[in-house]
Order: sequence, then structure tokens, then C-alpha cells
Amino acid sequence: MAQPNFAVPVPQRPQNVDRTKRSWPIGFAIAAVVIFIFYSFILPYLTPDIRTVVQHWMPLGTINTALIWAMSALGLNIVVGYAGLLDLGYVAFWALGGYAAAWLMSYFVPVSAINILGNAAPGTKTGLHLNILLVLIGAAAFCALFGVIIGAPTLRLRSDYLALVTLGFGEIIPQIFKNGDDFFGHNISNGTQSIGPIDAVEGVTARTTVVAGVAQHTDVGWGDLLAFDHSGRFIMFTLLTALIIFISLRIRQGRLGRAWLAIREDELAASAMGVPLMRAKLAAYAVGAVAGGICGVAYALQLNRMLPDPFTFSVSITLLAMVVLGGMGNVWGVLVGALLIAWFNSTGLPEIGDTVNGTFGTNIDFPSYSFLIFGGTLVIMMLFRREGLLPERRTRLVLHEGAAGDTQAEEPDEELVDQAGAVK
Amino acid sequence: MTETQTAVPEAEAPAPAALSAENITVTFGGLVAVNDVSFTVPDQSIVSLIGPNGAGKTTFFNALTGLYQPDRGGRVVLNGLDVTGMSPNRIASLGLARTFQNIRLFNLMTAEENVKVAMHSHLKSGVFGTVLGLPWQRREEREAHEVALELLDFVGIGKTAYEYARNLSYGDQRRLEVARALALKPRVVLLDEPTAGMNPRESAAFVEFVHRVRDERKVSVLLIEHDMSVVMRVSERITVLDRGEKIAEGTAEEVRTNPRVVEAYLGSSAGDNHITIADEEGE
Amino acid sequence: MAQSPTAAASLPKSRLRLSAYGERVAAYTILAAVFAWLVVNFLDNPQQFLSAAVFGISNGALYALIALGYSLVYGIIELINFAHGDLFMLGTLFSGFIITVVFGSKAMSAMGWVAFLVALVLVILFCASINMSIEFLAYRRLRHAPKLAPLITAVGMSFVLQFVGLKWNGSTQKSQPSVLPQGYIDLGGVRIYTSFLIVLAVTIPILGLMTWIVTKTRMGKAMRATAQDQDAARLMGVNVNRIISFTFGIGGALAGVAGLMYEQTVGTTRYDLGLQLGLIAFTAAVLGGIGSLPGAVLGGVLIGLIQGLNEGVRYGAGQRWTQSVVFSILILFMVFKPTGLMGVSMREKV
Repeated sequence: MAQPNFAVPVPQRPQNVDRTKRSWPIGFAIAAVVIFIFYSFILPYLTPDIRTVVQHWMPLGTINTALIWAMSALGLNIVVGYAGLLDLGYVAFWALGGYAAAWLMSYFVPVSAINILGNAAPGTKTGLHLNILLVLIGAAAFCALFGVIIGAPTLRLRSDYLALVTLGFGEIIPQIFKNGDDFFGHNISNGTQSIGPIDAVEGVTARTTVVAGVAQHTDVGWGDLLAFDHSGRFIMFTLLTALIIFISLRIRQGRLGRAWLAIREDELAASAMGVPLMRAKLAAYAVGAVAGGICGVAYALQLNRMLPDPFTFSVSITLLAMVVLGGMGNVWGVLVGALLIAWFNSTGLPEIGDTVNGTFGTNIDFPSYSFLIFGGTLVIMMLFRREGLLPERRTRLVLHEGAAGDTQAEEPDEELVDQAGAVK
Repeated sequence: MTETQTAVPEAEAPAPAALSAENITVTFGGLVAVNDVSFTVPDQSIVSLIGPNGAGKTTFFNALTGLYQPDRGGRVVLNGLDVTGMSPNRIASLGLARTFQNIRLFNLMTAEENVKVAMHSHLKSGVFGTVLGLPWQRREEREAHEVALELLDFVGIGKTAYEYARNLSYGDQRRLEVARALALKPRVVLLDEPTAGMNPRESAAFVEFVHRVRDERKVSVLLIEHDMSVVMRVSERITVLDRGEKIAEGTAEEVRTNPRVVEAYLGSSAGDNHITIADEEGE
Repeated sequence: MAQSPTAAASLPKSRLRLSAYGERVAAYTILAAVFAWLVVNFLDNPQQFLSAAVFGISNGALYALIALGYSLVYGIIELINFAHGDLFMLGTLFSGFIITVVFGSKAMSAMGWVAFLVALVLVILFCASINMSIEFLAYRRLRHAPKLAPLITAVGMSFVLQFVGLKWNGSTQKSQPSVLPQGYIDLGGVRIYTSFLIVLAVTIPILGLMTWIVTKTRMGKAMRATAQDQDAARLMGVNVNRIISFTFGIGGALAGVAGLMYEQTVGTTRYDLGLQLGLIAFTAAVLGGIGSLPGAVLGGVLIGLIQGLNEGVRYGAGQRWTQSVVFSILILFMVFKPTGLMGVSMREKV
């Protein structure tokens, strides 16, 4: 192992921890600003050729989608990476958050229109129309609640059983939404018909009020400051991702984060040291679910509608692949892993396919290889680099225990850091 | 509740008990691992639990700390509080700390973090406070940090505070386990074969260490030990288990001369008093 | 000191027992509700009820075959082999390939029976060798790794096998003709399909063979020894690697048989079939008590029965809720009785 063994007698915190502590957030912020400036102010003035290339390989919409995935992966990282609880049904929180948004900011809820600093489309007569900030808080709370509900029965289970139970919930909840046009006689989701459109998000203040039961356009507030196009979403999603990263990092340093790590390391010893296992695990589920809920809201905004079909088991697996690829427990690694995989999945693979097919005159259906690529990624990472591409320092140590002759525990690759910048 | 003190047999000492166990029985299926054992740990005393391999010592420990449920009728009273049936973490936070026979540290956490984990029940910061970084939570963290360093110094491994637990030497890991147990601010510390794997000189130093723990930390110490030289020198009282039953109890001298004890040991091992069996016992 | 004797009395020391009591009440309530539901449905239309039950049991026999594979592997290395269901899916594709493409049999005939028997042998070899290769290439290296690692690997393998299925069969559902006799026997309004009888005729001997292998043969004894304690088994001269490999082989063979039977009775297959049926079969294994072979069979039949009734009777929730019903059972069992119906409880060593 490359770690300081007995060679460092002075009790000082390892230096490079502090270095990475600062450099990553700064890098994230710079990348975000650069991307925003590039797409808003530079790209329109570039030659059509370059614009076409960018639109093909890295449209802003893809970046936004990647950020949505990153939010979820970061949430899953709290459950899997921090607390060591394998959750194979994380997609449920994504769906719950999305539907919470659909309920709270569309025509769907069958009541006379209620506008709370929201942006009901003029002419809408029904539904709840909350401000986006309220929706985010509501969805986060809703998912945290479900995190506890789903988590509670699983807490006494052994790790592999727990994976199965979460998987079960991950299948049941999307199925409820799918069949939700007749859920014990009630319509809770329009079923496969989808709920849409979702209220526009334009700035932070209300642009409509309800007069005599019908939403009317008024021009209060600074809505025009932030039109909700791709760049508007980009700003919002970046901020939300940053929020989730911040929460992850802060909690990791505190009392709860220590308890999670202790549980991951040795559950029994943790309980013998006074760590309440149930409460700590429930907290992990709840905090992880909050990220899922936020991600769901973002997803609903991105799609402008909510439909149940995308929420399949493979979403949970893709999220797991992101966490594993990036390095379980390492927030920045997971962020990079998520952005990479999400880009690859939505744009990279089809574009590479088109290019290859165009160049060699072949007709290979590249996107159909995603199964192989994700499955293969999981297998190969587990066999050869279990700590992920950007491992958390401590994970790197343990995962190679017993794997004799494996010497891949070097420092985080600088080239990957560069790649991360390139992705954004 | 009030009859706790009087109900315990042989509790001549007027000092109230830090820990008392009454009629503890543990059965696995049909197998009786511990059979109706009662005993007391007086306040700020050093008490040992000995017995041949498979006598049920560790099982008894586990019943005390809540990992196993004692069968109906058994009671564990800690500091005047009936803790029978409580979860292990609750019992731990009420003041019953332990170490493990086969060291169970949090390997990928630093020594300092290991100690801070055990302070969990004494700290208060929650999700929101931690995320927002409220001033009093920062102060709490800082204080916890200082206490952890102080404890590591106390057990003599202050220099390794930021080493990962798995990188510590064997002896230091044993010390870290004690520091971690002390971070619970316990009334009673249970040490499960703490000298296993130590050489005679280290064992002798350990006797001193146990006295220091008791005197400076104001705790009672309950030892499971195989090394008779340690047991005889350190213990104020000794309880002997054999095949799940308590066969003797008393001072070192009383136990040493008790015919049943001699028989139990002669029956299972070489005859001298120096029985050093380092490795695991049953269960 | 004992300063608070009164507070002690009021502490929630009986919390555990109370919740155990509550659990028992909840469990009995659920059982009673299920029973009431069965009675109501039976009285409503006995013929329909029994037909659905027979259909369900026939499916259940297939689930039992798949569940056995999960249970065997879990019993020996405590791994939920997520790829097992997908192996079954490949079994269906391979059987279809042999019978329909290689032999060209499209209906019942003498040639069809030959094709069926040849396919039975080949699919067993096919699935067994795939399963053994997966174990050899992936799981074996992770045997001493943290538990999460093999589990994630298994999930990855599942996706790799699904990819094979996707490339082989395309992304849409395909159906293959059956060479088994069609039709049904009518017993007083209760339909018993011929295919059901054939499924039983194949499944029961195979289960018997399995039981014989595990309980009577040397290999079976070595398997059980390995399941209890690998190191001890190794010291006793058992070649642990070979035993584990053998176990995967048997599990794969069972999945292959199940694949053939499914292909010949249900007939439609798709690359994600293994995910759905695999999860149902795993539920069956848990229901019966994972690690227990009779438990896996019992669980399979029960789950099949529940599914058949849910989809076939008047007050059932219908097919679109099947997944939810099965998973609810899984969750309820894991929470209230994680050892299953016939499992043995395990206690962690301290």
C-alpha cells in the first residue's frame, strides 16, 4: 500500500487531504462558470461547423441530463458509499421526487387552482402551483419520509437481503405510478398518459396569480432575469448539484458521517460503541432520498412532464455503476463517474456509433451495447479496481486487502481530473 | 429494583455495585452456554472472569452487553438501572463499554476517528446542524477532537492519532480499543482477553495499565483473561466459570485453593497455574 | 451509584418483546387476510379458482427449478447470484434455437420429441458451462472480498447476459412454436393443460435427482461440508474450488431445464425475461428459506400459486400488479420471517 505506515510519527493531518479539499470545489465552480459563458456568449459567435460539432457531441441539454444523474448518484453514494447499505431500488426516490413535482406544480391535483408564488400557465383552472423552492423542499421532505418508510423494515436485515428489499421497493413504486390511473379507484399519476406540462420556472418570483379560480398573467417580480431555457436549467441544476455535494461533504465530516463509516466497517462493533444502528441507517436512507427527490424535481423540469416509463431497474443499476466507477464514498469521484457515464449513455455512445458507422460504412447499433458496457464496467471494476477511478483514500486501502499482487493504489490520476473538466 | 443489592448473593461489600448480573442463562437451541450465573462488579473495582476454554465467558459478556438476550428470569443491572433487553448501543451509552477478543476496530478510520465514534451518544449534532455548521456544533466537534487526543495520550498512542487503525501495530490496536471504550465515559469497562498475544513483559506492563485505567478514569474493570499471572496480580475478585456454571468466586487466594477450580483446570489443561491460551474460545 | 431506582423501572426494557408481539399479530393478520381472500375467491367460482391454481402450480414448478439455483449458490457461498435469472433466459433462447432452428420442429411429432430430448441434454450442458465459467472468471477471485463486491459483480454479469440475449433475440418479444402436445383435460370444469403434466413429469424426477445428489453422494456431502465451513472442508481434503464449481454447474443445469420448459410451455421470451422471472424465483427461494432445497421447491410452488390466483380469479389484482404483489410478499417475508418457511436461523459470531 502506498499509505504512510509508521513513517509519519508527527500527529498531523495528511497534507494532500487539505489540498484536494480545496481544489475540487474550486474546479467544479470554475468548470460551471466556463461552461455557462461558453454556451451563452461564445458559442453563438463561432462558425457553424464548430456549432454543429458541439451540438452533436456536447449539447447543453446533455450536460443538464448528466447533472440530474449526478444528483442521484451522489444521493446513492450516501447510502452505498458512506453507510455501506446496498440500495438497488434507488430509482424509486427519483420517481417519487418527480411525481411530487408533478403534483405540486401542474394542473393535475383536482382542486381549484391554488397559486403559492408559483407560475401557473395563464388560463389554468385547477391544481397546485407552488414556487419552485417550495416544491424542492416539499419533494425533499416527501422523499425523506419515504426513505424512512422504505428503510425502516430493512434495517435488521443482512446486507444482501437489504439489497433485495430495496430492489423490491424500486419495482413496486414505479409500478404504482405506472398503474396509477387506477390506484384503488383513484387517479394518482395519469398512468402511462403522463402528467404535463409542468409549470414553467421563470425566475424566483410569481408571474401569475389566481383570479376567480383561473390563473392570470401578472408581471410581478424579476422573472425575465432567468428564462428557463437550457442555460437557465444549467444554472439551477449546477446549484442543486453543488448543494448535494455540500451536504454530502459536510455530513461526512460530522458525527453522523463517522457513525455511517463505523457501520460500514463493523456494524457490531459500532453498536457496542453506542452507535444506534437503526437511527443512523435511517438517517442515511433519508439523506440519500433527499438527493433523489431533488433529482426527481429537476428531471420533471427538464422533461416538462412526468411519465412512469423511464423508472426501471436499469436506472438503479446505472446509478450504482456511476458510484462504483467513481469510487464508493468519494463525492468527487462519484460526480465525475456520473457525468462521464451519463454523457456516454445519452450522447457519447450514439455519436461514437454514428461516427464509426459513417466512417466505415457499417451499421452497428451502438446504443444497444450499453448493457454490455455497464455490466462489463461493474464486473471489471470489481475485479480489477474495486476502489473506483477516483478512490476515497481509505477505501483504496481496504478493498485491496486479500487481493494479493494488486498494486493499483496510486494517487488520483491527474489526467482524470482534466477529463472531468473536459466533460463539462 | 430496590432489592437489587440484597438479592445478589455474596455481596458482602457495602459499596453499591456498578454492575450486577442476576441469574443469567443463555441457551442456543438446546445447548445451555451459560447457566444461572449471578455476580457483581463493585464500584471502581477490578474483577476477573476466568475459566477453561468453552466455559461460556464470552457468551456471558455478550449477554451483559446486550448482544445476546439472557433467558427469562435473568437481569442485568448497570449502575442501578435495569438494562436487560435493551439494545447493545443503549447499554453502551448507559455506561457499559467493552473491547473485543479478536480486535474489532474501524479499520479504515483513523485512531482519532475511532475514538470519536464511541462519543456518538454523548454528542448532539444532527443532520441540519452539521450541514449548516452552526457554531455550537463546531465547538462540540472541536471538544470531541480534544477529548479524543487526550484519550489516545492516556493509553499511550497519542502519536498515531491520524493513522488508520489497520496500520497500527497489534499492541497499539489493543490500546486503541481501550481508548475507544473509555470514550463512552463508562462506569464499567469489559476487557475480553486483553493480553492475548502479548509477551510476559507486555503483560506485566498491562497490569499497571489496568490499575491506571481504574484509578484515573474512575471505572470498574471486568476482565476475561487466560493469563493466570495477570489475573492473580490484577484482580480484587475472581469469578470462575466452567461449562456455563459459576463454580467459584472470591479473592485470588481463595480461588487458587478452591478444589473445584483446580479440578476444572486440571481436567482440561496442563496442571500448573500458568495457563496461557492465546487463541479463541468457543461460541 | 444507584441514584435513580425509580427511573429504571420505567425504562423501555420490554420494547423488543412488544415489537416481537406486534410482529406476530401483524403476521397472523396478514395470513388471515390471505386465507379469507382465498375462501372468497373459491366460493365465487370454484372452477375458475382451481384452473388458476393449476396454472399457477405449473408456473411454480418452473420457479422452483430456478429458485433451486439461487438457493444452492447462496447456500454455498452466500452470494445472491443476480445473473441466474438471465442464465435461465439464455436457456429459453438456446432451447428455441435447438428445437426450431436446428431440428426445424414446429409442432408435435416424433422428430419433435427427439428434438425436445436433445435440447434437454444440450441446454443443461450449455447453461451449466456458462454458469461455471462465470464463477471461474469472476466470483472466484472475489471470494475473500467484501460482500458488496461479488454482489455488484453478479449484477454486472446479469447485464452482460442480458446483452447476449438482446443481441441474440432482439429487443422485442419473440415466440417459438411448441413441440409438446397441446390442449387440456377437463375435470369437471377445471382445465388441466397437457403442458402442465409434462412440466411435472420433467420437474419431479429432476428434483428427486437433485435431492439424491445433495444428500447421498460424496459430492453432495462435500457440498454440504463446504457450505458449513470452507476452511474446515479444505482441511478434510475437499477440493473447495471444484465443489463450488460443481454447485454452479448444477444450478446452471436447473436453469437450463427451466428455460427449456418455459420455452415449450409459455413460448414467448425476451432479453429481460430473466430479470422478471429471476426476481420472482429469488422471492420463492427466500419464501421457502434460502439455502434450503425443499424450501426452494415449496416457495416456488407457492409463489406460482399466488401469481396464478392473482391473475386468474375475480378478486385478484390482475397481471399488471403481479410484480408488486410478488415483491410485497418478498418484503413481508424478509422483514417478518427472514429465515423463510423452512430455513434455519443464523447467528453472527462475536
